[in-house]
Amino acid sequence: MRGKPKLAVYWTGGCGGCDVSFLELGPALLDVLSQVEIVFWPALVDTKRADLEELPPRSITATLVNGTLRTEENVEMVRLLREKSQLVVAFGACAHLGGVPGLANLASREEILRTVTGNGFRLAPPPGGDAEDSPPELLGAARPLADEVAVDYTVPGCPPMPSLIGPFFEALLSGDLPDPGHVFAQEQALCKECPRTREDRKLTKVLRPHEALPDPQECLLDQGMICMGPVTRGGCGAACPKAGMPCTGCVGPTPEAGDPALAMIAALGSLVRAGDEGPAAFAAEDRVLDTLVDPLGTFYKYSLPVYVRARRAA
Amino acid sequence: MAEDFEPKVVAFLCRWCAGAGADLAGTSRLRYPPNAIPIRVNCSGRVDMEWVMEAFRSGADGVLIGGCHPGDCHYVSGNYKTRRRVYLLRKVLAEMGIEPERVRLEWVSATEGAKFARVMREFVSELKKLGPLHLEGAERAAEPVAARGRS
Repeated sequence: MRGKPKLAVYWTGGCGGCDVSFLELGPALLDVLSQVEIVFWPALVDTKRADLEELPPRSITATLVNGTLRTEENVEMVRLLREKSQLVVAFGACAHLGGVPGLANLASREEILRTVTGNGFRLAPPPGGDAEDSPPELLGAARPLADEVAVDYTVPGCPPMPSLIGPFFEALLSGDLPDPGHVFAQEQALCKECPRTREDRKLTKVLRPHEALPDPQECLLDQGMICMGPVTRGGCGAACPKAGMPCTGCVGPTPEAGDPALAMIAALGSLVRAGDEGPAAFAAEDRVLDTLVDPLGTFYKYSLPVYVRARRAA
Repeated sequence: MAEDFEPKVVAFLCRWCAGAGADLAGTSRLRYPPNAIPIRVNCSGRVDMEWVMEAFRSGADGVLIGGCHPGDCHYVSGNYKTRRRVYLLRKVLAEMGIEPERVRLEWVSATEGAKFARVMREFVSELKKLGPLHLEGAERAAEPVAARGRS
């Protein structure tokens, strides 16, 4: 490869956590940075859109995009980046699956604007400015990166953990890249790398994380916490369950699980019990399931825009 | 328009009870609305909620799941599992803005042809009141299911 690989990092509708996540590589980050040339990274270096426009097509080796697509400007920028890049990488849960901001898709664009800005609000240029200075229009819904441009690889997570970022840079810098479409995480469920022990495969209550101090060894799901481990890709080393927090599914569902909500419904349907099964237990089983607050938001915390486009037309 | 509307129903019927009940309704020449596309499954417990959603995305206005009465499941507890899954799915549907009544779970034994016919009449009449289910971008939503390899 001639010269250093050129790297771009861009954020769309995100929180900035993905940009910070690179720091978690620790000393390894210095190795990475010494081997790449950063051509565009608004969070880190002073580069503007005009600089990007001047670059020849496909001159950037890899562009890492984090954040959900939320505004018209986001879409323009990722299209521009796609044109200038050999590889486009969805970096983090928002670019991968829509992310937490994607939960806003349960409300319409108009409802969101009304709630945030009040009635009668219109996007307008600042005083003395012209139309070009107006804030960009919100899209009708938050959307994952792959909705707009071809995505070569995904580094998932909210934010991506060093154990997922590291292998991506190793592959990029060695030139030994996996097949397009590869997700830098395990195909197998997180449970495979979770040290907790599973015994009693019955769920008799649903507990939210603040309601109990979990046993340090026992499976969190067995203890009544809604842990998304069974349907979520491993690769993070079961970081949250090890720390006593149930997995919320940020790395995304395993290929086998598919839709994370429907896969969790299947799992919970098998696990929930209220005494012996039968008509006498139906009401009590329902009460157990009723204690699961906001199942939709729990199951699709990071992936609503990918799996739920099913909202009824107004 | 509401008067012309004929809801499309996908009915997942277990082969031991509800499927046999539907057969009996037919052989007994009972009259009931022909809106359902029946899909026979070995057990109501085999019905993946993914299938229910795929039915909706493919244009169904309602999904009926027919299983054995409590205590009669050929596989002991498949109907109990499906009952809990449907309960949860309906909660999720409500949060999505889809009427939970569009998914209906019924126990129909092999001798209950009349009950099957009654359930179909009730369900179709309820769905007519609810109106058609228009899913935004339904074709695109079907992609994640079709594209994923279940090995």
